[in-house]
Amino acid sequence: MSTATATANVFGSEVPQPAQHGQPGGIMRRLNFVTGLIGGLALATIAGVVTNILTPSGASTATFAPAAPDYVYLAVLLGWVIGFMAGMGAFVGPIRWLLGRDITHADAEYLAGKDLGWKRYWKFTTDHKVVGVQYLIMVMIILGFGGLLAMLIRTELGVTWAEVFSPSFYNSIIGTHGIAMIIGMIIVVMGPIANFIVPIMIGARDMAFPRLNALSLWLLVAATPCLISSLFQGGVQDGWSVYQPLASQGPPGMLGYQMTIIVFAFSTGVASVNLMVTTLTMRAKGMTWSRTPILVYGVFAAALMGLYAFPFYQYSQILAMSDRIFNTSFFDPLEGGSVWLYENLFWLLGHPEVYVIIIPSAAVLMEILPVFYRKPLFSFNFAVAGIVGVVALSGLVWAHHMYMTGWAPAVNYPFMLSTEMISIPVGFLVLVAIGTMWRGVVWTRLPVMAIYAVIFNKMIGGVTGIYLSDVPVDQYMHGSMFVVAHFHYMLMGAGLFGAMGGVAFYFSKMTGRMLDERAGSIGLWTAFVGFQITFGSMFVAGLQGQPRRVLQFDSLFNISNWISTIGAYIIGIGMLIFLGAIISSWMYGEKATSNPFGSKSLEWQTPTPVPLENFAVLPVVTEKPYDYGVPDPYQKELAAVDGDFDTQKVGSQS
Amino acid sequence: MTTTDIRPSGQPDEPEAPTNRPPSMHRVKMWLRRPYARGILVLTVVIGFLLLPLCWLLLAAMNQTGAPASPIMRDIEQTVFVFTLISIPITAFVFAVLVYSLLGWKHISGDEVPADQSPAIRSNTIGVVMWTAVSSLLAFFLVVWGLVELAQITANSYGTIPADEQPGDSQALIVNVTGQQWVWTFEYPQYDGITSETLYLAKDRPVYFNVTSKDVIHNFWAVELGVKIDANPGAITQTGVTPDKLGNFNVRCAELCGMHHAYMETGIQVLEKKDFNSWAREMGGGKTA
Repeated sequence: MSTATATANVFGSEVPQPAQHGQPGGIMRRLNFVTGLIGGLALATIAGVVTNILTPSGASTATFAPAAPDYVYLAVLLGWVIGFMAGMGAFVGPIRWLLGRDITHADAEYLAGKDLGWKRYWKFTTDHKVVGVQYLIMVMIILGFGGLLAMLIRTELGVTWAEVFSPSFYNSIIGTHGIAMIIGMIIVVMGPIANFIVPIMIGARDMAFPRLNALSLWLLVAATPCLISSLFQGGVQDGWSVYQPLASQGPPGMLGYQMTIIVFAFSTGVASVNLMVTTLTMRAKGMTWSRTPILVYGVFAAALMGLYAFPFYQYSQILAMSDRIFNTSFFDPLEGGSVWLYENLFWLLGHPEVYVIIIPSAAVLMEILPVFYRKPLFSFNFAVAGIVGVVALSGLVWAHHMYMTGWAPAVNYPFMLSTEMISIPVGFLVLVAIGTMWRGVVWTRLPVMAIYAVIFNKMIGGVTGIYLSDVPVDQYMHGSMFVVAHFHYMLMGAGLFGAMGGVAFYFSKMTGRMLDERAGSIGLWTAFVGFQITFGSMFVAGLQGQPRRVLQFDSLFNISNWISTIGAYIIGIGMLIFLGAIISSWMYGEKATSNPFGSKSLEWQTPTPVPLENFAVLPVVTEKPYDYGVPDPYQKELAAVDGDFDTQKVGSQS
Repeated sequence: MTTTDIRPSGQPDEPEAPTNRPPSMHRVKMWLRRPYARGILVLTVVIGFLLLPLCWLLLAAMNQTGAPASPIMRDIEQTVFVFTLISIPITAFVFAVLVYSLLGWKHISGDEVPADQSPAIRSNTIGVVMWTAVSSLLAFFLVVWGLVELAQITANSYGTIPADEQPGDSQALIVNVTGQQWVWTFEYPQYDGITSETLYLAKDRPVYFNVTSKDVIHNFWAVELGVKIDANPGAITQTGVTPDKLGNFNVRCAELCGMHHAYMETGIQVLEKKDFNSWAREMGGGKTA
């Protein structure tokens, strides 16, 4: 069009621009969440109706169930995901490229939500801070949904004298609770905190691929209804691990699970690549690896593990879906498939995913500790070594979930070795935490108090993990309530409580308001107490021999289940209080200052709310992080007692 | 002079000053003279003793329905006991630091950012090395213990025990275990293929299980015998045990297998050998055995 070389002023320099087509943003000005919903529902309806017409009458699946519900439900899900993403404008960027319309600076600013106010949270916005806040809301929705299901599960188990739910509905809330919580826990730090904080923390203006960032968020939003809708299609009746061939017997709801995983794995893959590229290439000048905060390491490690683990999962679900829809038999042993193939593919995700959850939440805590103890992080190198060790071993331990499957009894030996070895790098992280506490004067604010809950739970989860890692003991405990209690101690006790501390810490930066720490603390500690009651007595039920995923059991297990259910309601109350504190502070809290905790880290040096593009002038890093504290008083004392021997040496011994 | 002790920086041509470094035992004593060091050590011991009953409480919970009823289960319980015992010191130490951090070292509340007053300890070679050494040793012990135990129970399960250690006169009993939604069936091929829905075993007679499934994955868990193995469709998994206690025990399915998974349980009857034989004859088997 116009040949005049338009320029735009980008941070003080004139940058030549491609031709501007129409108003900045183009068609993206009209697309938002509502058009996404309309697109998704419209395409889902069309796809469902067309599939229903095209399906021959009397078609049946491999298990001789009518095939039409399967086909229609799958078409509806596909239509929803594609229609929703199209309605959100996810495909506009590639189409613009095909049309040869390069993006101008004004376009990019519009896409990042400049001057859009609250509306930017409802659009395909590329600004990482908007994506972070959107993730925070999604996390609360998903964890709230999973928590609600947990209450239903405990209600059923507490009512030992009757069946509250039908067995099939009970089985489906177990599976849906499991996968909802896993998804929620994977994104609880990697979503809000990694997207919002990490780019600012490393001194970047945005993520490396802003549109992929928005894509990962909106794919997650598209996946969530797939999971929830499966409850109305018979549900996920096979636990979150959906072992074959039971899964292929299941109702059409299984397709909802499979579609959720396939879409979610795309979302995680995109987000992982984005985070890795961002942290590798966009750190501020002078931010060498020894000056990079530990949270960045944690997020990078989790992204790396997610990147190799999720494809296995996605692949297993694609094969399972193919078994179901096309009557293939990858996992059907009666037709030459293998159930062990599925189990291997599943746990190749299943175990790294545990560390995808734990490592970022531990890293957030290591980021918080120095601020509140006013003390450097103890042994930064060890923290890095711990993370590297966990990443290195994370892919070599999956078959400890399969000790009792009979797949290959001989490999139990090496997998026991690798599993018990991973306790060493995990121990490093505990050392870093208690080393930072060591002799520190703690400023008792809510974020740092979470560390006490986390270390307590992590020790219990870790020690009980030692039993389970041992094949002979696992021969008793595998598949029992003991396992359930153990992984709740790790994922919820260490992962979620750590993430709650992290959210409390970054709340003021993300929302611009101060968190009501009084109400938040009441919620956190109520949940903590309930947590100990629930899962402490669940250990007992497991030791007594209660299998997991049952809705009725021997009267022997009654007492521990009653106690457990009471504890679960206490957790529920605590979490509601915490959630209430977050919501009310977000709406009515007092305005936050830019650095209420006196942190020296880069992200706290920006104003609150953080402006678009974060930094007018990119920062230069000249020091190691965590430069807090005063010279060790024991150095002087020792020198006085012992004369003038080398004070440096003695100081480092303390 | 003030408290700061400023030594003249060494000129390059000056001989190196003699180090007046105290011997290591002295340094340990110095360290122990610090109040927090004693506090944490005392707390560690106290918490350790408070946790000690867990070693027995865990086993008490496991033994409520009559376990251990086999050598394998005894091995499992021994392992639980030992692992609990060796986890206690390190757990007690970490808990002691947590408690001391809240009660012993100072804390500040309030909304104002406090002035820095914690010592700027960036690392501590001795602490780090000790932690690594202790945790590696513990992990090494766990691995070795686990490998030896695993080899032992594998031998017990699969019948590779040397002949002179084989118990008694009898030949091993073979039981074909079949899981299907949602019942267990036990078949005795040595007794004309009689079948039962309760598992009958003879005391002190080794039994080998051939486990399979007709439909989905189940998990055959003979709770008090410490036996657990998946029942996979289209495959036979094997395990075994020698029950050595008379009584009624439980079989439960430990792998979600569909709607009535919770109800997929049955009993085990461990009988004296002659009672077992008469049971088998009553059922119509054992004429040829």
